[in-house]
Amino acid sequence: METTQEKIMPHKLSIIKEITAFVKDVITWSLSGGLAYQIYLCILAALMVLGVYAYFVQLRVGMAATNMSDIVSWGFYIANFTFLVGVAAAAVMIILPSYIFKDKDLHKVVIIGECVAIGALVMCLMFVFVDLGAPWNAWHMMPIIGLFNWPTSLLTWDVLVLNGYLVLNLLVPAYILYCHYYHRKPKDKLYLPLVFISIFWAFGIHLVTAFLYQGLPARPFWNNPLMGPRFLASAFAAGPALIIIVLVIIQSTTSFRVEDQVFNKIRRISVVAGIINLIMLFSEVFKEFYLPTHHSQPAIYLYFGLKGHTALVPWIWTAIVMNVIGTLTMAFNPGKNNPKVLVPACILLFLGIWIEKGIGLIVPGLVPSPLGEVVNYAPSWVEVSITIGILALGIFVVSLLLKPALMIEQQYEAGE
Amino acid sequence: MKTPIIRNCLWGVLPVLLLIFAAGLAYSTEGGVVQIYKNATAPFDDETQVDAALTLSIPSVLVTERYQGGRFRTETRKDKIQRFSCSQCHNNKPVRVAQAAEIAHGEIVLNHGSEARPLSCYTCHKKDERDFLVTEQGTKIDMDHSYQMCGQCHFRQKKDWVGGAHGKRISHWAGQRVVKNCTGCHDPHSPRFKKRWPVTYSPPLSKGK
Amino acid sequence: MDPRKNKICQKPQEKDCQQTKQRGRREFLKGAARVAAFGGAAMLAGCGGSMLGSKEELSLRWKEYFKKHYSLMTQEEKDETVRRLEQLAKIKKNVNVQMSSAPPIDGVLFGYAFNVTRCEGYMECVAACVKENNLDRKSNMQYIRIFEMEHGQLTPEVGNAKFYHQVPVEDHFYMGVQCNHCQNAPCVKACPTKATWQEPDGIVVVDYDWCIGCRYCIAACPYYGRRFNWNDPVVPKDEMTKKQHYLGNRMRGRGQMEKCTFCIQRSRAGRLPACVEACPTGARVFGNLLDPDSEIRFVLKHKKVFRWKEDLGTDPKFWYFVD
Repeated sequence: METTQEKIMPHKLSIIKEITAFVKDVITWSLSGGLAYQIYLCILAALMVLGVYAYFVQLRVGMAATNMSDIVSWGFYIANFTFLVGVAAAAVMIILPSYIFKDKDLHKVVIIGECVAIGALVMCLMFVFVDLGAPWNAWHMMPIIGLFNWPTSLLTWDVLVLNGYLVLNLLVPAYILYCHYYHRKPKDKLYLPLVFISIFWAFGIHLVTAFLYQGLPARPFWNNPLMGPRFLASAFAAGPALIIIVLVIIQSTTSFRVEDQVFNKIRRISVVAGIINLIMLFSEVFKEFYLPTHHSQPAIYLYFGLKGHTALVPWIWTAIVMNVIGTLTMAFNPGKNNPKVLVPACILLFLGIWIEKGIGLIVPGLVPSPLGEVVNYAPSWVEVSITIGILALGIFVVSLLLKPALMIEQQYEAGE
Repeated sequence: MKTPIIRNCLWGVLPVLLLIFAAGLAYSTEGGVVQIYKNATAPFDDETQVDAALTLSIPSVLVTERYQGGRFRTETRKDKIQRFSCSQCHNNKPVRVAQAAEIAHGEIVLNHGSEARPLSCYTCHKKDERDFLVTEQGTKIDMDHSYQMCGQCHFRQKKDWVGGAHGKRISHWAGQRVVKNCTGCHDPHSPRFKKRWPVTYSPPLSKGK
Repeated sequence: MDPRKNKICQKPQEKDCQQTKQRGRREFLKGAARVAAFGGAAMLAGCGGSMLGSKEELSLRWKEYFKKHYSLMTQEEKDETVRRLEQLAKIKKNVNVQMSSAPPIDGVLFGYAFNVTRCEGYMECVAACVKENNLDRKSNMQYIRIFEMEHGQLTPEVGNAKFYHQVPVEDHFYMGVQCNHCQNAPCVKACPTKATWQEPDGIVVVDYDWCIGCRYCIAACPYYGRRFNWNDPVVPKDEMTKKQHYLGNRMRGRGQMEKCTFCIQRSRAGRLPACVEACPTGARVFGNLLDPDSEIRFVLKHKKVFRWKEDLGTDPKFWYFVD
């Protein structure tokens, strides 16, 4: 293996050859596997086809295929987008300890966090795209060929930071994996600055997404300074929970081994963030209900229903209960990191935050309308199908990235 | 491996500074629209500045009072009264009974003033000057200028009507100002607006837009 | 030696590495073929056959698709685009429209005042607006909403906009809301493509063809002033208003935002907006704020005026007053 380094000279032509070989192997490895894996990929592909079909229905009929209206003008798509930006940002909670605090255990699972982040980012960008009413005009937002309303419009900031984070999260792992594939040590100078940028950038993407809502005085439910910190807290609770689930799946389906203390550390990160999240939730609930004003109407609609419309009430209470049970279970850790206890707790926490930060954030922000009118909202079959398709796409991307990444990492460890 | 923490932290401070700078750019406020219009004291000659302002072809008369922008016009009334001029009939000539039933003012509902002190026909009309409105003092008012009569009691509304806060301008905001006269909107004998059905409705909003 | 050629280094350690790879490739190709077949069928099912048109229509639509943002066009380009849209209307719907690209008039800033005492809830303004601005009949789009309010309540949030009975009802008053054409419009700030902006004469307009339909402006507007075309708008040909303006009442498409434009096709021609002209009680006043002799300035000077949600800092040009 040592001779490889001598043989491969840093000539331009051979670098292209190296990269080609690397990419070819990555693609081959990502698609190859046992029968179970192939069936799993085919199921995901079928779900994606369902999503594509539903999207073409939406293109043909118009956005009326969804259940959104002028009152609830953002619905299931943007709800999922908001939540998944958090999941994408949560990779920083693995990167930060491993690079700044030099945690060796977490260093091993950084690559998994970044693959999950890439999958989540792809899903975010897809959700925004399917939510556009006139996607054929999307080029109007490009800086030179269209008009980019930066820095005034927060959506432009969001576009910049999300795409920038995607690029960062693609470049750094690609470089590290490329080096590990050829059993070389990655050069610190090349990738460490990008890693540090990505740490701050991760906080940035979620703060900008929060500011999207926070900066609108027209929507009193959103227009409070706690949105940004709350987004960060819930992201850093849900993201690591998802990573724990992914690690357990990896442990049980591949030969990649993860030490127990990794689970413990990630669990503790999620617990701290989860507790901060619950404290912030309490703070919001106190503000809305201690001396309710007119601006508390959205919160009343969410938690108790307004004018007979109670569609969201069971969802939010379920979400809060799941959130509390998940956080407390992970905090007290009765199973001592036993996956049989940890995984359900993580799932509960993840789903609870998904509901609360998704639909439980978007719809009350828009209902009652600025004119005080209350409507119910439930996603239509088109919205659900497209969402399922995009979720399948995200899982597909994560699987396709993780498979070769883990193989390369295992080979590198074996070779080291 | 020593990592220069401070230098790497600066990478993080840079986006924050950029954010503050961008926010400053976005929020450059001037005085509000109230300040803008309070400063606008130069006269605006819409006759010349608005190319498309047309003069209205509806029959109108020059109002005897001036508003803040000078003279203005109001639509005529006499051509809208079916049987004007009144002296066609009211001239001490005999009228056949068969005709009288048709043409007497039986259809007029007089509901003007309060219940305790309602107006009567003679409040505004006099027997010997049927072609004009006549005030209590005896001043004759042309029917086209009925605002002078209405303005005797409704002086607040008249002041607002002259200025533009009451009543309606016809068709154009630019060019010669022509407004509806009092009787253009209010039936002089029963001036309050009637209860009626709205012309349309707003549909429900559930799955509705 | 190249690690790829070394079998020992390969992981996972499967017995028939090559066969598994081939099986994997076969499965993948089958799956890909299925996906392609489904995708093709989905595309055909999704898109209707009406995508194709005549050569002239396609050429016009091509030019329209790649045109600039309206505010960046010269007056010649604006006239060209308006001619193209007139031709497209003739080809696609067989209607003769006259579309204008009239620029704002110098020295004009439009203002609007609504007399809360005089409104009786007749909703003639709503009907006139629907007709004048070619609003979608299918989704019953209305720019104006009239609220029936009990005495003692001021904001429309506590009123009822879905009334349908004889009006006026005793002890109730009526208040109309529509786009306030804010001087400091949050929707203008929110739009990522600058598809909505404030013209020099104060009207906040939308370049419908530039809008990407993200609906951030609806979230930003505190007055429910903006509408989105969730479906293709439907307007019967005989009810269509043929005198149109590019930024005003021309026919919009689905996926585009629209809003009250103070009837820009009328107001830039010196005429009153349809709602002002239709009101039977004269509750609406419209004019040039920069003309000290205008009626709107008289109202602002002499009447008790207020603006709705002024605390949000939007600086609207829509005032309410009482007699």
